[in-house]
Amino acid sequence: MGTYITRRLMWTPVLLLIVSFITFALGQFGPGDPVQILMGQYSDPEVVERIRKQKGLDDHIAIQYTRYIGNVLQGDFGESYQYRGRQVSELLGKRLWVSAQLNLAGLIISVSLGIIIGLFAALKQGTWWDSAAVSFTLIGQSLHIFLTAPVLLIIFALKLDILPTHGWEGFFSLNTILPAVVLGIPGIAIMTRLTRASTLDITGQDYIRTARAKGLPERIVRTRHILRNALIPVVTSLGFSLAGLASGSFIVELFFGIPGVGLLTIESLFARDYPIIMAVTLLGTALFVLANLVVDLAYPYLDPRIRLRGNYVAG
Amino acid sequence: MLKLSKTIPLLLLLVFFIACSSPLEEQGLIENAKGSTNIASEQLETATSEPPGKTSSTTKRSEPAVSSNKSPNLPVVGLNQDPNTGKPKGGKLIQLFRDPPTLDPHLTTDNISGRLVNEVFGGLVTLGLDLNVAPDLAERIEVSEDGLNYTFHLRKDAKFHNGKPVTSEDVRWSLERVADPLTQSPVAAQYLSDIVGVSAKLEGKANAISGLRIPDEHTVILTIDQPKSYFLSKLTYPTAFVLDQENIENDGSDWLRQPNGTGPFKLAEYQVGELLRLARNENYHLGPPNIDEVEFLLAGGNSMLMYENDEIHVTGVGLADLERVLDPNEPLNAEIITAPTLFSVGYIGMNVNEPPFDDALFRKALNLAIDRDTIASVVLEGSNIPAKTIIPPGFPSHSPNVIGYRYDPVKAHELITQSKYGNDLENLPRITLSISGSFGANVPLALEVILQSWKDNLGVEVEIQQTEWATFLQDLHNRRYQMFQLGWAADYADPENFLDILFHSQSENNHTNYSNPEVDRLLVKARIEPNQETRFGLYNQIEQMILDEAPWVLLWNSGETYALIKPEVKGYELTAMTIPKYRYVYFE
Repeated sequence: MGTYITRRLMWTPVLLLIVSFITFALGQFGPGDPVQILMGQYSDPEVVERIRKQKGLDDHIAIQYTRYIGNVLQGDFGESYQYRGRQVSELLGKRLWVSAQLNLAGLIISVSLGIIIGLFAALKQGTWWDSAAVSFTLIGQSLHIFLTAPVLLIIFALKLDILPTHGWEGFFSLNTILPAVVLGIPGIAIMTRLTRASTLDITGQDYIRTARAKGLPERIVRTRHILRNALIPVVTSLGFSLAGLASGSFIVELFFGIPGVGLLTIESLFARDYPIIMAVTLLGTALFVLANLVVDLAYPYLDPRIRLRGNYVAG
Repeated sequence: MLKLSKTIPLLLLLVFFIACSSPLEEQGLIENAKGSTNIASEQLETATSEPPGKTSSTTKRSEPAVSSNKSPNLPVVGLNQDPNTGKPKGGKLIQLFRDPPTLDPHLTTDNISGRLVNEVFGGLVTLGLDLNVAPDLAERIEVSEDGLNYTFHLRKDAKFHNGKPVTSEDVRWSLERVADPLTQSPVAAQYLSDIVGVSAKLEGKANAISGLRIPDEHTVILTIDQPKSYFLSKLTYPTAFVLDQENIENDGSDWLRQPNGTGPFKLAEYQVGELLRLARNENYHLGPPNIDEVEFLLAGGNSMLMYENDEIHVTGVGLADLERVLDPNEPLNAEIITAPTLFSVGYIGMNVNEPPFDDALFRKALNLAIDRDTIASVVLEGSNIPAKTIIPPGFPSHSPNVIGYRYDPVKAHELITQSKYGNDLENLPRITLSISGSFGANVPLALEVILQSWKDNLGVEVEIQQTEWATFLQDLHNRRYQMFQLGWAADYADPENFLDILFHSQSENNHTNYSNPEVDRLLVKARIEPNQETRFGLYNQIEQMILDEAPWVLLWNSGETYALIKPEVKGYELTAMTIPKYRYVYFE
């Protein structure tokens, strides 16, 4: 187990290097130029050239990349191109934390509701309840944020006047409710279907029949044998969702006036603000890798048959 | 299926809600392209889209009919009568805004930064509410007879926010800072290279600006290369603002956290992505502001909803809300004000070197074949005005004697058959119109109608190619486009800003490759013509020559836009350009 973790962790920097280089190269060779965008429609090639030189954008890509990685290793993600005079870390730090909390709130809604509805549907398989539950969540998934966000805003903020329209005041505040619900709704369907499918799969397994045959009370069979095993694929998908915590949902953030990372990321893409794009990509990758590791480590606790070894992962 | 039938009414209900509600505005998602003519007025006030530069007109807000219902959720406290102005002092104005890309005046290129920078800093000259050049740090300006030397006499009572007096040395240091290549100002050359020696310094060939002298503590003399009458208006742009050397050198890269400016407001608080608060500068040399504070909410939100929920004092009104707000029975109707039109022109540019646009007859036919008036009233619902000329109405030098194109399909057909492609219209070279747009944006309906008109009236088919702004800009500057849609908004109130920059054959911004030696000659002449009437006459002549050769298909000037302002807020001006304006605001 220890070897396994070490090996996985050792691979992380290699992966990060590969991802960072690809992102860096895409920025270099893709169309669009950050300095030109700063200048706007008014064009003065001499000025663009001069500022590109000042920023070191004219150096060979290998030199630029090495310089960048060198700085990152010292904890310096550089200065934003678009937000002149501001450090990337300063721009990103707080926003990442806000986005993470918001996404977590959304995730809690989709996971808790999804698992409950999924289990319920599986246990009522084939009945009216089953299809009702599944279609209900599917409708939720089909409703676009552009529909749910304004409708909820109009009902709860404008008409009923019980929730604020915008702003962020921490995880435990009224402001978090609407955006979290809007974020969480589409995910409920995925969790429901996943839980339902795996529960049905497990219910048909021999060991469940055995458990029942040996006279275990249905309550024990359901919680200890069915639920626990049914949650394995759910946990896997949860891992990916965890990795997504650091990415912002810019539409929701924009809609509810939440100072998250989503809007900044989109802006940076349009402005070719490479330092920010790089930082977001690197953090995203790192989180993804770590989340996967956490998920892998969680398996043995859910299913003792799964063992992690240095050379391969079973299960 | 039983369940589905139950959900359909629910869905219908939801759709109904949406239809009744204020639809989404794409609020500042994407920085508006400069001069884009489809500027929603909401964006005007909330975020993105005053043109980066300056133009010149203003509209007084009409007093709302109902002015007693104060907004309960919005704080207004401690109003006292100011003995000097007679206006109530105090109160905090709250507004939705966006994070400024920078607060450094010398790096400012966009109007978001410009709005804030104009409140915190100042320069030798500024723009008044009438949008004319007005004295700021300089109380008197003398121009030499040859029009080359400008002598600025500084006010003796002007102080930085920390109380330090402003001297000519501060002006010198600031101008040399912006002209230092290390400062990386993207617009120093555009706004300041008329001053002798600025270009040399920008290129690293000189340490000082040779055309800048400070004979004493309160006098600055600037020498410019040619007698350009529009020079002073360029100095109102933040590029020429005065900064405090100690502030910048002592605080290093942190100086913008506590910028020591000379403007009517001090930066009191700035939480990136959340909130920016300006507080009154009691010592402001042009008279301190009436209100205590201006609070800009930066995290976004639905401006219209926030306004209706009494969370902000000002909002623009998007096209989608317009009908509702313009209805006299709607309570909000009393709070509506009309914003001045922006000085901009939207057009389709044609690369005159590329077939089939290498024949002026062909280009003229395209201009005659579209019915701008009908499209403007039916499709654009009056949000844009059909452009008849390059210089927008109301802009200096605009003349009714300059004749553009009206709708004349018969004449259009005549011209296209006379053109060198007239014999074989079936086999025209392929025409691609490039437009900018992200996320697979819709092609604007008005543009589709134009394309259809060309097809119906002339049999000319045009394809659309859409690219995202950064790519569009690069390809545009590299002259890769055969035909493109673009707009231009004035940076300063002078026809040179349209005609010289966009049509001189040597200009970097002449994207159509239009070239006419006579036009070039007249443009150069107009730059330095001292007599304004003669000068504008020259520009009228130039404009007519360009129109006759039709390198553009003229489209629209921006029309009137609307905003809502809470009745207790007075003196809030919507201006067609960025000026320091919060000092005029007061609460009642």
